[in-house]
Amino acid sequence: MKTDVWQGTLALMVLKTLESLGSLHGYGIARRIEQTSGEQLSVNYGTLYPALLKLEQEGYIASEWGVSDNNRKAKYYKLTRAGRKRLLEQAREWEQTTSIVARFLSPATSTGNGGAS
Amino acid sequence: MRSLRALLFRIRGLFRNPAADREFDDEMAAHLEMQIADNLRSGMTEEEARRRALISTGGLESAREAYRDRQSLPLLDSLFQDLRYAGRMMTKNPGFTAVVALTLALGIGVNTAVFSVVDAALTPLPIPQPDRAVMVWTECPKRDWHHFPASIPDYEDWKASGVFSSLAMFGEDGFNLRIGNRTERVNGLRLTPDAFAVFATRPLLGRVFEPRDAHQGNDNVVILTESFWRSRFGADPSVVGKNVMLDGVPHIVAGVVPKPRFAHEDLYVPLVFLPPASTDRGSRSNVVVGRLRPGLTLESAQHRMKDISERLAREYPKADAGLSASLQPLEEALFQDAQTLVYVLLGAVGFVLLIACANIANLLMARSASRGKEMAIRAALGAGRGRIGRQLLVENMALALLGGVIAVVPAFWAIQFILSFHLDELPNTELVSLNSKVLIFNFALAAVTGILFGFAPLAQLRKTNVNDTLKQSSRNASGGVQQRLRGLFVISEIALTLVLLTAAGLILQSFLKFRAADPGYRASGVITMRVALSGPQYASSQRQLQFFNSAVERARALPGVVAAAATEELPSSDNFHASGFHIPERPATRVEDIPIALHDAATIDYFQTARIPLLRGRYFTTADREGAPAVAIIDDWTARRYWPNQDVVGKHFKMDSRQYEIVGVVGNVEPTILLAILKGRAAQVYVPVAQEPKPAMTLVVRAAGDPASLVAPIEAALRNIDADQPVFHIQTMEQARVADRAMQLLATSLLGGFAILAMLLATIGIYGVVSYSAGQRTREFGIRISLGARPSDVVALALRQGIVIMAVGIAIGLACAFALTRALSSLLYGLGATDPWTFAFTTALLAAVGLLASYIPARRQTKVDPLQALRHD
Repeated sequence: MKTDVWQGTLALMVLKTLESLGSLHGYGIARRIEQTSGEQLSVNYGTLYPALLKLEQEGYIASEWGVSDNNRKAKYYKLTRAGRKRLLEQAREWEQTTSIVARFLSPATSTGNGGAS
Repeated sequence: MRSLRALLFRIRGLFRNPAADREFDDEMAAHLEMQIADNLRSGMTEEEARRRALISTGGLESAREAYRDRQSLPLLDSLFQDLRYAGRMMTKNPGFTAVVALTLALGIGVNTAVFSVVDAALTPLPIPQPDRAVMVWTECPKRDWHHFPASIPDYEDWKASGVFSSLAMFGEDGFNLRIGNRTERVNGLRLTPDAFAVFATRPLLGRVFEPRDAHQGNDNVVILTESFWRSRFGADPSVVGKNVMLDGVPHIVAGVVPKPRFAHEDLYVPLVFLPPASTDRGSRSNVVVGRLRPGLTLESAQHRMKDISERLAREYPKADAGLSASLQPLEEALFQDAQTLVYVLLGAVGFVLLIACANIANLLMARSASRGKEMAIRAALGAGRGRIGRQLLVENMALALLGGVIAVVPAFWAIQFILSFHLDELPNTELVSLNSKVLIFNFALAAVTGILFGFAPLAQLRKTNVNDTLKQSSRNASGGVQQRLRGLFVISEIALTLVLLTAAGLILQSFLKFRAADPGYRASGVITMRVALSGPQYASSQRQLQFFNSAVERARALPGVVAAAATEELPSSDNFHASGFHIPERPATRVEDIPIALHDAATIDYFQTARIPLLRGRYFTTADREGAPAVAIIDDWTARRYWPNQDVVGKHFKMDSRQYEIVGVVGNVEPTILLAILKGRAAQVYVPVAQEPKPAMTLVVRAAGDPASLVAPIEAALRNIDADQPVFHIQTMEQARVADRAMQLLATSLLGGFAILAMLLATIGIYGVVSYSAGQRTREFGIRISLGARPSDVVALALRQGIVIMAVGIAIGLACAFALTRALSSLLYGLGATDPWTFAFTTALLAAVGLLASYIPARRQTKVDPLQALRHD
């Protein structure tokens, strides 16, 4: 059973995807996220497109109509300068959060580090 | 910032763009096709590929909904939807909408009008630190005298006390100002130069007064107020340094100042301290205003003044025993005359609005009862309770705001109405307008009322059970809670109405009493006008006497004149002259116990002209002239009070260290309204003007026909004597009598109007409740009638609820009225604030109207055909 993508992290995944792949359409973004997750996540359009719209409204991504590989009209999204900055910030925050949570979840290392710091 | 940017996009999205919707559809289609293409590539059949793609992408409609919500603001979006619906509801029931909006517009409009007046009146004085400016009054606690003027020696002692950084004395005065070849009467203040320091006035042109201007010989200087300088001197800057003729004496214009908003004066001249007033502690004719020294609080300043007053009372017992000085913030002093009126009006308009709200809440509840089914259907289709509540609230807010918009019209009218009374007591009336602050108040009030009455139908929503409501065949779902709530609304309406009605009744009755009262003279058919002689030619009192004697003679010679005379002051004048009154053969009393007499100088024909009856002795004659023994006429009250059971003619008294022989007793005349500040009655003494000439007198001329037709000929006659003496205060004696009662007249008209409005609303309210609940019981009444109940029994049953509501409302209203009408006391004439007859009458009136309003729907029940009623759902 695939898990629906978590709302809070979707924006980060979208930004990261666009950073590594450059300009991409909605379907491509969804596929890429699903593949990267090892098909453990599923992204449907009810969550993806509002999230893309929100990022665009906030100015982190920009969109334009283009033509896909197999000659279809599709809307392409790409990262803006503000989006790049945002990605860095969000990635740092995320790493910080996960490392803190990780410390809580592995008691052995946490006691050892606790004494040192 | 980012979220602000997003918000702007979403607000733009509110104005939905069909192209954006199409774009979304295109994007979705592309997405779907790419998915299908991928699926095909992985070897699925076309059908399978499409099915799988649709499953994995999720529901298209819900995606579109989510996308749209993100595109715009969903809350606002549904608000627009509610507003559109509210608009439809309003236009669907135009009658209902009109009744609610107009009721509310009247309720809000009168509040807005009174707010604009109060807001202007409470505008801070345009001076720095207005809260540091105080009036310094003389008061006599034993006599209950407050806010009295001060004597010059007391003022100088106060000034030396160090309590004030500046202390000034001033008094109002009138002047004859000659501009070109015309002389006109203008208003001014005589003030000490410190006044400009107290008010921190900077001149627009020239200079303000300096200490040397207040010395005799240097005092022929004048300062103009800006508005007067603009209207009379065409804003000519070269007027400074020039001479103007003021009271026949050339004065140099020293400067022009912006007008401080605390009086209606045109110009200022220095107040010069001259004997005897400058050394007489007992002579108090000017008021004192000062600025507290920095660092001194009002309380500590008051304490210091108390110490000083005690010292002065010890040092000068003859003049100052029992007296003290009291401080009053200047802004409070300016507002105090209008205070009662303003509070009464604020209370009255507040009541009107509450009654209007109760009535509207009632109407809305009646309507929402019949909309119960609509709400149930909405709930059944999945609308949450909050969603329905929000829709009702939006509907009611829309109604309230509509009322608020219309309210601007009655507000404008009410403001014009209030201003048309030209109340001197009300400060800053020139600032009253429908300005932005007032309009904000208007709409804020509309919003508050919308919330207030908008919650009434919500209370009942809580109870809605979808199944029951839908099953009910009846067109309306009735609830006991709702009926009780409506009953409570009507009870409060009746209670509030009774308070308003009683207040209006009291003030109307006192106004009628005043109109009907015998003032002790015959006011009708008399024209009066005043002349204040000025110029060196009238320096001697003999010349003053000659002028008024010839003025009276010439007026009497005019055709259509029955009698003519002159008096120092009209009985109704707001100017009066009071002195201590001693009876030589009686022991001297302490200064605070000395009786006070009002004195008035008059020509010999004054009593005959004004028709003040002679009770004993004689009128003045030509023999009562300069050099002859001083004589006086007193009124009946004085005779009975100080010489009870004695023949007073031939008795003597002393006033201002002069001895008088009483030659006659005349009827009492009604005291001026300002006498209220003396707390109790004072003796009234008349002296012949031939023995005490006065420079300013009022001509009193009785006409055979219309007194107004005499104005022009008398003015012409006076111009013939001296064209340089302007005539002013031209009014009939009746106008003079009511002139000071403008506040009472305004209060009467407004309270009367409000009370009628309130009664109308309350009547509609009780009618609505009784007819509704009687309608609910039609089937029951039908059964009763078919079982033999007489019509009167049915009426009694149907009436019972109305009677209970009326009784409770009236009981609460009476209690409130007893507690609240006291506030009216100072506006009343000739009756107490809890006058039992007025209370009885207004109660009976309201009860009768309320009973009628309940009887009509109750009576209808007896006409019910029992068969029809039994079939009734």
